[in-house]
Amino acid sequence: MDRRRFIQALGTGTGIVAFSQAHKDEAKAFAEGQSAINPSDLTWGKAPCRYCGTGCGVEAGVKDGKVMAVRGDTASPVNKGLLCVKGYHLPAMLYGKDRLTHPMKRGADGKSWEKISWDDALDLIASKYQEALKESGPESVAIYGSGQWTIFDGYAALKWFKGGMRSNNIEPNARLCMASAVMGFVTQFQSDEPMGCYEDFEEGDDFIMWGNNMAEMHPVLFSRILESKRKKPNVRIIDLATRRTATTDYADMYVEFRPGSDLAIANGILHLLIESGKLDNAFIKENIVFKRGIEDLEEIGFGCYGDQAEHYTFQDKTRDSSIDEFKKLVSEYTPAHVSKISGVPEAQLRSLAEMYGDQSRGTISLWCMGVNQHTRGTWMNNLITNLHLVTGKISRPGSNPFSLTGQPSACGTVREVGTLANRLPADMVVTKKEHRDIAEKIWGVPEGTIPAKPGYHATDMFRAFMRGDVKVMWVQTTNPWVTMPNLHRIDRKPGDGRFLIVSDIYPTPTTEAADLVLPAAAWIEREGAFGNSERRTQHFDKLVEPPGEAKEDAWQIIEVAKRMGMGHLFPWPEDAWHKPMFEEYRSFGLGHGKDLASYDQLRKTRGMVWPVVDGKETLYRYAAGYDPYVKKSKGVHFYKAKGYGEKAAVWFRPYHPPAEEPDADYPFWLCTGRVLEHWHTGSLTRRVKQLHQAVPKAYVELNRADATKLSVKSGDRVKLVSRRGSMEMDVKVDGRGKPPVGSVFVPFFDEHYLINELTLDAMCNISKQPDYKKCAVRVERV
Amino acid sequence: MIAPAGVRALAVVSLLAISALAGCGRGDDAKKDGARGDARTVAKTSARERAERRGYDGAPPVIPHQNFGVECMSCHNDRGMQVEGVGFAPPMPHAVTAGLSDIARCRQCHVFRETDEIFVASDFRGLAQDLRRGRRLNDMTPPVIPHPVFMRENCYACHAGPAAREEIRCSHPERARCQQCHVEENATDLFTP
Repeated sequence: MDRRRFIQALGTGTGIVAFSQAHKDEAKAFAEGQSAINPSDLTWGKAPCRYCGTGCGVEAGVKDGKVMAVRGDTASPVNKGLLCVKGYHLPAMLYGKDRLTHPMKRGADGKSWEKISWDDALDLIASKYQEALKESGPESVAIYGSGQWTIFDGYAALKWFKGGMRSNNIEPNARLCMASAVMGFVTQFQSDEPMGCYEDFEEGDDFIMWGNNMAEMHPVLFSRILESKRKKPNVRIIDLATRRTATTDYADMYVEFRPGSDLAIANGILHLLIESGKLDNAFIKENIVFKRGIEDLEEIGFGCYGDQAEHYTFQDKTRDSSIDEFKKLVSEYTPAHVSKISGVPEAQLRSLAEMYGDQSRGTISLWCMGVNQHTRGTWMNNLITNLHLVTGKISRPGSNPFSLTGQPSACGTVREVGTLANRLPADMVVTKKEHRDIAEKIWGVPEGTIPAKPGYHATDMFRAFMRGDVKVMWVQTTNPWVTMPNLHRIDRKPGDGRFLIVSDIYPTPTTEAADLVLPAAAWIEREGAFGNSERRTQHFDKLVEPPGEAKEDAWQIIEVAKRMGMGHLFPWPEDAWHKPMFEEYRSFGLGHGKDLASYDQLRKTRGMVWPVVDGKETLYRYAAGYDPYVKKSKGVHFYKAKGYGEKAAVWFRPYHPPAEEPDADYPFWLCTGRVLEHWHTGSLTRRVKQLHQAVPKAYVELNRADATKLSVKSGDRVKLVSRRGSMEMDVKVDGRGKPPVGSVFVPFFDEHYLINELTLDAMCNISKQPDYKKCAVRVERV
Repeated sequence: MIAPAGVRALAVVSLLAISALAGCGRGDDAKKDGARGDARTVAKTSARERAERRGYDGAPPVIPHQNFGVECMSCHNDRGMQVEGVGFAPPMPHAVTAGLSDIARCRQCHVFRETDEIFVASDFRGLAQDLRRGRRLNDMTPPVIPHPVFMRENCYACHAGPAAREEIRCSHPERARCQQCHVEENATDLFTP
């Protein structure tokens, strides 16, 4: 102890003051005023977190019917006890003063609300749906859910709509979120979802993040990578992005590219791998086929101009290609050419190619919304996976393409149950007769019940609702009047002849647009199951009662189905339907490589990673020694891709420009996204004091050089103007994110600053997922 | 766990400091300081104020000071640090937790408070901190640790040093292996089947 430090400690008057009588008295009074409950006085139950797709395990502490605390579940292999600030504040999410507690119907004046009973509400929904079916057919009814639907909610909705209503108009908000990843995996492996798992974060050496601010959006998984980097200092984090973020702070290399040019970069890396002889030719020969689709920009379009602005129904056409043709096609993407399109220095492109080509190091590619919310999102998914396929760096611990998900059950419900206009459970689609036959048989409904034509995808569903082609729509567990792109297109006043039902737990701009509002039970106020990014299915029990008359979403659906004469779809006891429903759903995937764990096993474990065969989970899909469906002694077997001879497909996908680019009138790029503290539209997290106080409102991030040019500083107001809308908001310079010159970023969590009034409803040609990351705006001083 | 040498030294020094000051009659002055209530000093924060920084007992506290724009660990280092005009920055309680290494992101869990306003009022009532002493078998036995040790492996961060509060201040920080005598109370079986 040196002298200075000793004196410092002596001078710590503050430490001594803590011993004063006044302080002692206050501490005593405080202690007596408390109800002195020990953590051990609470009843603790397990559940996955309610927010993102990571699926952290939490333990919720309950007393007197209320959740009073949570803690990270140290037994969970996902998060090993750690949570992020949202997860730690989960309990408060349930107890906002404005919880919806009883059904409410729009009054005759079109503005006020009147309380009604559940019976009346359910009867009304049934009669509205029946009337629409009778007058306009199954294409005039719709249901719009989300990746926050539990597996039970999603399965009930799917079975009711496709097996009862004879309508494929069921869509989730995950169309705005994960659809490009779905179509990426489906076009390459004919089976959705990643091959790797979270263990890859300890096994990998290079973590290449494509347009993905993992530090804020998947913080607990990012912590696993940081811990891995601490233990193995040669672990590298590569951040490819259009804006500096918290993730960049930890990156070994930051690759800043022009929005949309990631297509060119990935092709450029493929070209360099070919040029430097880094292809794994033996792997390619054994496991890969080459494919092409429609590549003409005019023919494809963007889904938002001309006729496509009402219906976007582009269909890709597959044709066979070869490795020689593939090599020739990507040879156009020389470093000089790619550098010109993307603004990325050639040296960085060469570094990236060296990383992907280095067989001594494990490579994990990670992506989420940057790649998926992209007018060529499916292509971008294909290109990243191509990099792993041509180098053989796939389906082995520490080398995998890994798509992250943003909602707790985007995988478990939307992708696995198949709550999409074109899908059925377990990788099946409505367009194939043999698939419809299987579903109809399991559901015990007549042949021909499920229509062969896919329903509206999400964006077209809302367009159709505004046109009046969809007459009755039910929205559950999501907030589309904040999240749809080009929001002015769905400005709606009740009384327009259509009928909108919204189930939620709090009032939102979406309930404001509704004719009927139903109070929902949230998270552990009901029994449920979620599936996370790594194929882990996690069950949770009901641990507390929902407030007032709130009811779980699946119950609401079943009760309406019964009133419409479709009760036979749900033939289970009213007090014990979860288990038989789950086991029926599970039967779709058994024996098809989509084997879920049994209900009983899920209740006992901290989730199980499918395929689960003989009670054992599969960490690495398609990999010999891990996946029980692979009979080889080593290597991989893409056994789901029956249409490709049980091989994976490498697609040639060219560079296409974005749908809208900055010009003289609108000189800035606008990118939208999330912040760590708020989840999606903030309807849950803003009701948590600590989270709201940390980020109380939306703002626009501006580069310092642009701010100087405009003579504005942090806290000043500016007006953002796009071709579709405008908005005034506060400037933030050098905040947590730093956009490059000529671009701005706005988070979308704030219902008072609806940034989607400015965004463009352009979408991916294959997945129909909108692009929220690229449109043009101008910034004006006010 | 074995505390790092720096933390041990700090704990001993703070004890020395206390006895030295008590011996020279500074106790009354100290009381006066306390009554004056200098709001900037962290260590004077009452139990109530501390509790208000947390959603419930066990939740990560929000950051009680302004954003100084420096790395958190430049002050919250393994010894803690006296910061001019602010108070004593205690060391991190979870320096050795898996997943929370030196390069971990503090602000993944600890956030600043940008406003005092709320969005909507709340009925949430969090688990309050139990300021009673840990349970003992009898008067002679050391109390058990009433909270989980996970993420609080560095006992000294809260139980010793200038920022340690009276109610939970350790009387014998020189005995470095806390968990030799104090064990974690483990009465939290999940009610899963």
